[in-house]
Amino acid sequence: MASRYDRAITVFSPDGHLFQVEYAQEAVKKGSTAVGIRGTDIVVLGVEKKSVAKLQDERTVRKICALDDHVCMAFAGLTADARVVINRSRVECQSYKLTVEDPVTVEYITRFIATLKQKYTQSNGRRPFGISALIVGFDDDGIPRLYQTDPSGTYHAWKANAIGRSAKTVREFLEKNYTEDAIANDSEAIKLAIRALLEVVQSGGKNIELAIIRRNQPLKMFSAKEIELQVTEIEKEKEEAEKKKSKKTT
Amino acid sequence: MAATFFGEVVKAPCRAGTEDQEEEEEGRRETAEDREVRRQLARKREVRLFRRQTKTSLDVSLLEKYPCSKFIIAIGNNAVAFLSSFVMNSGVWEEVGCAKLWNEWCRTTDTTHLSPAEAFCVFYHLKSSPSVLLCQCSCYVAEDQQYQWLEKVFGSCARKNMQVTLLTCRHVTDYKTSESISSLHSPFLKALKTQNFKEPPCCSLLEQPNIVHDLPAAVLSYCQVWKIPAVLYLCYTDVMKLDLITVEAFKPILSSRSLKGLVKNIPQSTEILKKLMTTNEIQSNIYT
Repeated sequence: MASRYDRAITVFSPDGHLFQVEYAQEAVKKGSTAVGIRGTDIVVLGVEKKSVAKLQDERTVRKICALDDHVCMAFAGLTADARVVINRSRVECQSYKLTVEDPVTVEYITRFIATLKQKYTQSNGRRPFGISALIVGFDDDGIPRLYQTDPSGTYHAWKANAIGRSAKTVREFLEKNYTEDAIANDSEAIKLAIRALLEVVQSGGKNIELAIIRRNQPLKMFSAKEIELQVTEIEKEKEEAEKKKSKKTT
Repeated sequence: MAATFFGEVVKAPCRAGTEDQEEEEEGRRETAEDREVRRQLARKREVRLFRRQTKTSLDVSLLEKYPCSKFIIAIGNNAVAFLSSFVMNSGVWEEVGCAKLWNEWCRTTDTTHLSPAEAFCVFYHLKSSPSVLLCQCSCYVAEDQQYQWLEKVFGSCARKNMQVTLLTCRHVTDYKTSESISSLHSPFLKALKTQNFKEPPCCSLLEQPNIVHDLPAAVLSYCQVWKIPAVLYLCYTDVMKLDLITVEAFKPILSSRSLKGLVKNIPQSTEILKKLMTTNEIQSNIYT
């Protein structure tokens, strides 16, 4: 009976569903996977790169965007909606900085994005934003943060999370593998993000994009070479672990 | 007689049924023009089977001309991509026929290099074993054309010693289940078989009240009526356009008896599939 209550965003169904918001969450699943990990001294964002047409400029197809020097986000879902949200957030970051003379906290800008999204679930003639976002960064207090927002306008802090196409598989992987040892140092946290993505990315390292923020350092985007190096290391470690296992059984 | 809102006077239908019957019949009687339009439409919607190389049409049904013991039919672009990468690359296949049709949803293409994203319906047989027939059907066959398709392909007499395997996809929102949709890990495979199909299928059977639609349903029904062992592997997916994960969901079928002998190099096939995906990916920038 969804068809009677799913055309207008401002109409609740008798059992309390806002179908347009739920359908917007389906649009998020059409975007490729993005994973965010909060380490001890680092935050990592990894995304599955979308394959680019031959004549398309790769630099203009980006899933990871900086909102300010110390905050960045990855999204999954409708590209155009993401562009609008990112632009508004960037303006808000600067406006806040000019007004209060302090950079935004990660929670503030997340709340701003979430509030913006929620407004669009309660307005006539509009539709919800079809994106989920993973927002990472460091606050002035030096604590790493990772937040996730979704089309309904809710936001939560996470230790590690995934959004987009195979988010469920990646989240299950993270639940099993996110341990204190796994985020003990920066390189382990980066490897965890890449390993999580390799669970679902089809063609390995060349379809992965990675960005990290370290405490008091600006956003760093990994080059394809650096990612390949990490992937090779991960594969080596996997082989060694398998060898050890087979030795143990014999 | 009754007056409508717009002021026109129309004849109200008479419940007695006897009055004004003659006048009504006159209105319903077909003119020559109506008949001509109907004839032209029927001609346009005809399903034609012919050989592309010689451009000659087949005078008998395909299975009469090429009797087979194994008939594998892929319907839909994902099923077609699966057979292209895993089965057609493991042997030499010769084209034996092609179906040309038109309906409101699609028109079959005439190009020589066919990609799974285009609409076509081509039949092949394995050169080394001509009793194995394969059909790649990525066009939509409308309800009124399904019977014609069956007639032109299967003919109207019973086929003995033949097994049919069908592959197709359906959107997961059509899958009826008492479980919550969020707990379904799509894409997933379901099977539906005819009474004479004795082998165990490669996945769980399609539960009630789910039904099969369109051409796969027509073929299965035909096989059930003519007691041909047939199985349909239906992949429920959330991405109906050409998609790697959906195509790979058909992989369990590679262990079935009908496909086992036909698939040789699986890692190579996986590479070919990936290439097919990248070359055929509709560069939609809507979702990132």
